[in-house]
Amino acid sequence: MSAPVGISIERVARSFGPVQALVDIGIEVRAGELLALIGPSGCGKTTLLKCIAGLLPVDAGRIVIGSRTVTGPGGREASLVFQDFALLPWASARENAEFGLLLRGAPAAERTQAARRALAKVGLAGSFEDAYPAQLSGGMQQRVGLARALAVNPQVLLMDEPFASIDEQTRRILQDDLLRLWSEERKTVVLVTHSMEEAIYLSDRVVVLSPRPGRVHRVLEVPLPRPREALDVRASGEFARLVDELWQILKKLQ
Amino acid sequence: MPLAAFLALWQWAAWIPVSFNFPTPWQTLVALGELLASGALLAATATSLQSLLLGFGAAILIGVPLGLVMGMVRGVGRVARVYLDLLIALPTAALIPLVILSFGINILSSAVIIFVFSAPFITMNAYGGVRDTRPRLVEMARAFGASWGKLFTRIVVPSAAPMILAGLRLGLSRAFLGLIVAELLLSPFGLGRLIMNSRSMFEHDKMFATVVWTLLLSGIALALLARLEARLLRWRAG
Amino acid sequence: MKFDGMKFALSAPEPPFGRAGLAAIAGLLVVWEILGRLELSIFIPSASTVAVAWWGLLTDGTLLRSAGSSFGSLLKGFLPAAAFGIALGLCMGRFRTLREVLDGWINALMSAPLSALVPVLIALFGVRDTVVAATVFLFSFFVIVVNTMTGVRGTERSLVEMARAYGASEAALFVRIYLPGALPAILLGVRLGVVQAVKGMVVGEMLISLVGMGERLVYYGNTFLIPELYAVIVSVLLVALLSATLVQACERALVRWK
Repeated sequence: MSAPVGISIERVARSFGPVQALVDIGIEVRAGELLALIGPSGCGKTTLLKCIAGLLPVDAGRIVIGSRTVTGPGGREASLVFQDFALLPWASARENAEFGLLLRGAPAAERTQAARRALAKVGLAGSFEDAYPAQLSGGMQQRVGLARALAVNPQVLLMDEPFASIDEQTRRILQDDLLRLWSEERKTVVLVTHSMEEAIYLSDRVVVLSPRPGRVHRVLEVPLPRPREALDVRASGEFARLVDELWQILKKLQ
Repeated sequence: MPLAAFLALWQWAAWIPVSFNFPTPWQTLVALGELLASGALLAATATSLQSLLLGFGAAILIGVPLGLVMGMVRGVGRVARVYLDLLIALPTAALIPLVILSFGINILSSAVIIFVFSAPFITMNAYGGVRDTRPRLVEMARAFGASWGKLFTRIVVPSAAPMILAGLRLGLSRAFLGLIVAELLLSPFGLGRLIMNSRSMFEHDKMFATVVWTLLLSGIALALLARLEARLLRWRAG
Repeated sequence: MKFDGMKFALSAPEPPFGRAGLAAIAGLLVVWEILGRLELSIFIPSASTVAVAWWGLLTDGTLLRSAGSSFGSLLKGFLPAAAFGIALGLCMGRFRTLREVLDGWINALMSAPLSALVPVLIALFGVRDTVVAATVFLFSFFVIVVNTMTGVRGTERSLVEMARAYGASEAALFVRIYLPGALPAILLGVRLGVVQAVKGMVVGEMLISLVGMGERLVYYGNTFLIPELYAVIVSVLLVALLSATLVQACERALVRWK
């Protein structure tokens, strides 16, 4: 297990033709923190995440993960988890979890071992590994997606609205599982979300982006005690107050 | 641009001595002109189109309702689809000698052959269109108190329309195929006879010209049908 | 003028081996036998008469001889059509410029009455069995190209993005995302292609009237040997169904994840 690293997003800008998606984004993600990105639709939060992943090049500025500047996708530091799971329908859960390692040329035995370990971490050990995505529920599919991300042993986890396509009850369970996993693995997590409640519940800090062109509008500290999955954080007055504070910020941006 | 490439390829093919009398594009064009001027081509086209209208028309009039019934009545659909699958798998040309024996060598034979070539496809597409009606829409209509008749005309038919029209397009291309095969084998009239006659008289330029004309004809007919389809289905997104 | 290869999918014949299928065929045979016995017309022999004729053709070697020639032409025409068709379909699906150049031609040729080209083939090759193989090729090639292309184009964007995010090279993308994703469509195209190939085989053979089962069809038609004619028709149908079933078996073996 490698030590967590921070992400330095320095004066990043990105446009799509004449449309300016992101302007002058500057964020210092602390090593090992769980940071949420939130904002009204079209504010560029997914774009920013893709820039960090190296899927989209930046037009200005740079992004540094640990000590390495991001130049393209497939970097070893960061792993992506997708909203629609993006699992290969023709591969079993284990094969899907192995996919990242497969692309890196890891030998079969090593891949299987790593995939099994990752699947166990997300709670899908045993007979699940031979199931196909079509046979799994949404929640289980996302666990596979998470296992795939973990199997390559990244230092940073990038999550693009990972629980948006999942029903609320399963979502809460997955959120708690994420928190547990995060505290065990000590990775840096950047999570894009639409849900204010999710942002406050999970993160150490919430970055609010303004609508297009996206800028860093506010950074909200979330000093709620941890481990949040063990304490009944959602019932606390502090939680409600923070959610409302976030809502007031977002409301003005609509 | 690609047309020029095709013509160049043709011209080149005519120059290599693969087989005697492979006409060049220009020769074909000239022959086409001659055939049109003499009226032979138009007469043959008229005869062919008669068979086509008869056979294809019958295929639509019988095929579409049959497909709709198959879709609405589960039992009928399940049984009939077996026969239709067999008809579609069978190389329909194999039935031509039988049709000729039964009906003789005339326009009726041609029409029957065209019918057998196209009707199964039209029917299957209509069947599929009805079967694919979204249950949610049927549920919604019933919640608003729609009768079976209304359900049919306002939900099932519009919902199946794209598939039915695609089936018509497919059926038309199959109809042309049947027409040509029938006439090449029957020979006594139509475009098929023209092709076979020109070939036996070694007038390859006339043969090519007729083949090109036939392909153009079928292309235009299909394009027209596609236009009609687009107009009728303007509500489709994309 | 767009020809959506997938709409063809409903016309992909399912060999009727289910319970309803076998019952329907049994029913058909019974009706056929009755109609034949009623002697409505010399053109409708009973199923049993046809069966006897079929057996006769099998034992005297006619059937095997002509079927052998037919199969030969089928393979000679279909295998290249599948190989080139899949290759072209893959390229056209992947590379937009190629697709834009060729798409119109492929679509036009697929809906054209290709039988009109058979006399051209005869002019090219003479009255030989090469014409049959060429007809088989023409009839099956375009269907395979279109379905393969549709399969590649239908690849989910998110899977491509995911693979890129995990560092896949162009080659890896092709082998691990595009190809497996397109496989069902490719196999559908091959199944449709094989059925079209058999049709082309019959058309070609009937038009040159020289070899194979098509020649037998014309011969028995001309000589009024009606039970034999029916027997060959049934044999041709069996060839078509057998080929389709073989491909379907391949499909089931290769695409178990659906």
